[in-house]
Amino acid sequence: MTAASISRAAFVVFAAALLAVPTVIPMLASPFWIDIAAEILIWSLLAASVNLLLGYVGLLSFGQALYFGVGMYGAALSVIHWGAGFWGGLALGILGAMLMAAIAGSVAVRLTWHYFAIITVVFSLILYFAALSAKPLTGGDDGISFGAPDVLAFGDVRLSLANQAVQYYTILLVVAACYALFGLVVRSPLGVRFMAVRENDRRAALVGINVYLTRYLAFVLAGGLAGASGALFAFFGRYASATYMFYHVSGEAVVWAIVGGTGALLGPLFGAGLLIILREVISTVWEHYLFVVGALTILVVMFAPRGLAGAWRDLLAAMTRRPPAVAAAPSPPGTDAAPSTPSANATQGD
Amino acid sequence: MRDVSENAIALSVNGLTRRFGGLVAVDNVSFDLPARRLNAIIGPNGAGKTTLFNLITGEIHPNAGRVVVHGQDITGLKPHQIVRNRVSRTLQIKSVFSGLSVGENVRTAVMVHEGLVSPFRSATSYSAVNNRVAALVDQVGLTPHMHTLASALSYGDVALLEIALALANEPQLLLLDEPVCGMGPQETEQTVRKIREIAKTVDVVLIEHDMEVVFAIADEIIVMAQGAILARGTPAEISSSPAVQEAYLGAPEEADL
Ligand SMILES: Nc1ncnc2c1ncn2[C@@H]1O[C@H](COP(=O)(O)OP(=O)(O)OP(=O)(O)O)[C@@H](O)[C@H]1O
Ligand SMILES: [Mg+2]
Repeated sequence: MTAASISRAAFVVFAAALLAVPTVIPMLASPFWIDIAAEILIWSLLAASVNLLLGYVGLLSFGQALYFGVGMYGAALSVIHWGAGFWGGLALGILGAMLMAAIAGSVAVRLTWHYFAIITVVFSLILYFAALSAKPLTGGDDGISFGAPDVLAFGDVRLSLANQAVQYYTILLVVAACYALFGLVVRSPLGVRFMAVRENDRRAALVGINVYLTRYLAFVLAGGLAGASGALFAFFGRYASATYMFYHVSGEAVVWAIVGGTGALLGPLFGAGLLIILREVISTVWEHYLFVVGALTILVVMFAPRGLAGAWRDLLAAMTRRPPAVAAAPSPPGTDAAPSTPSANATQGD
Repeated sequence: MRDVSENAIALSVNGLTRRFGGLVAVDNVSFDLPARRLNAIIGPNGAGKTTLFNLITGEIHPNAGRVVVHGQDITGLKPHQIVRNRVSRTLQIKSVFSGLSVGENVRTAVMVHEGLVSPFRSATSYSAVNNRVAALVDQVGLTPHMHTLASALSYGDVALLEIALALANEPQLLLLDEPVCGMGPQETEQTVRKIREIAKTVDVVLIEHDMEVVFAIADEIIVMAQGAILARGTPAEISSSPAVQEAYLGAPEEADL
């Protein structure tokens, strides 16, 4: 078996497991875990937006919670004030987040590295405080709640989010669609430009890439992913609150992305999955579960610098090694070939 | 197609000046380089050669002066726009996409040159691009390394890969900054042969410290020192010029002190 075929088989098993969650989990454990699975799927999109920036264009954003928050309020407000349904609310949440990213990004992507990281935090803080103080509209840190609209109402058939399985499958559908789109984009000519910018922005410009525009597009797309995450979370909790725009939410997404493995399509899903499950398990017995999360993160960064996805890839390579594989094997879905950290080999020291 | 008449000018630089603080790295430099010649620029460390290239490719803005390539004024354009004007370069410290394979490196450059930006179609599904990538990789002799990560290549092969990247935009003007620096004798010979071949169809300007290489392949040499042009002529004229001997060839180590 080749690494590619093992990876594909693992992907099929994983997809089947995700589909089986609402039927299998009640047999094994509390149905509460179906909601945890849904939550992992949702939060993984926020981590994916970090991954799109860090893993594919080499920009570390500590402000993705802003777009999550805009997605959240976009969905909540359009349901409350305009009577939007699930799909309309989702679309408005995503569009709102992309618009916000288009505004903030026009400034932010002119900067790189720590300057970029700082400006993303600054933007999210400004909007966080703005949302806190715009209490009549946003509810501030109390937030606003709303009744979940139907996902589908067709004659007598009505699918409501109030049904746990319907809610889970709806979330799975949207999240899977986001990853499918993400996967298409990073393998496309546009994705080729992304990776060129990540690898070496000077050389990227010298082969004719508009580095600024490329980073900008990635930033807006990442805003869309974070917005989708926020909108789904709003529907999941029937609730939107400014607290989710605070930068610790952004920071958590960065940790999920790094633990899962940046530059790998599904890395953030595994990172978010592992850490959220740990949180749920440990926090019931020990309130300082964050210590465990911190220790685990440090261990991963030290011993598996390319995250869980990188470790998985190394494992596959070790399992299938025959001739010394210097050559990059074609990458299977879900374990996209790419180094974890953007290499800083761009500068010429003259 | 480009103008190939006898007196065509490949690169014309006029009054080009760039200061870094109190240092004038490029000091009111003017020259015309005729097309269809292999031109070399030599000069001691810190003479301003690389800065001159940076000014031509738009990576650094001049304080004064203009750059005209094949009759087109490119002063003030952004680097990626200048690349679209068929000007390419390699860097003194070799610069490729090290986390990508040789094939992916070249594919990147070819796709950008072809103006492909589709966000949905698979990047590997363009057969014209794939053919062009194979041809370019073959041209620089890296076909056996097609799937090798660039970071795993030898230094000489990285330099060749960088040349392939620079050729992807079908350049009319190619600027090479010390292309054989750090190479062994065999790699040097091989690379010199490639450069000669390229120079048959592309106007090449070469910065090089290896005098053997320069005197072997250059049709004409410009000598720079302290940001200015010190001398200009055929290899024979340059090697016999007393001014050049004194400023550069005679005392290469002290020259930049
Ligand atoms: N970005 C910069 N900022 C400040 N000073 C610079 C910069 N680039 C170049 N210089 C200075 O300008 C002068 C010319 O440098 P340049 O790199 O052009 O020389 P060079 O002729 O290419 O030398 P070498 O043969 O060593 O490559 C040097 O004194 C250098 O320190
Ligand atoms: Mg130099």
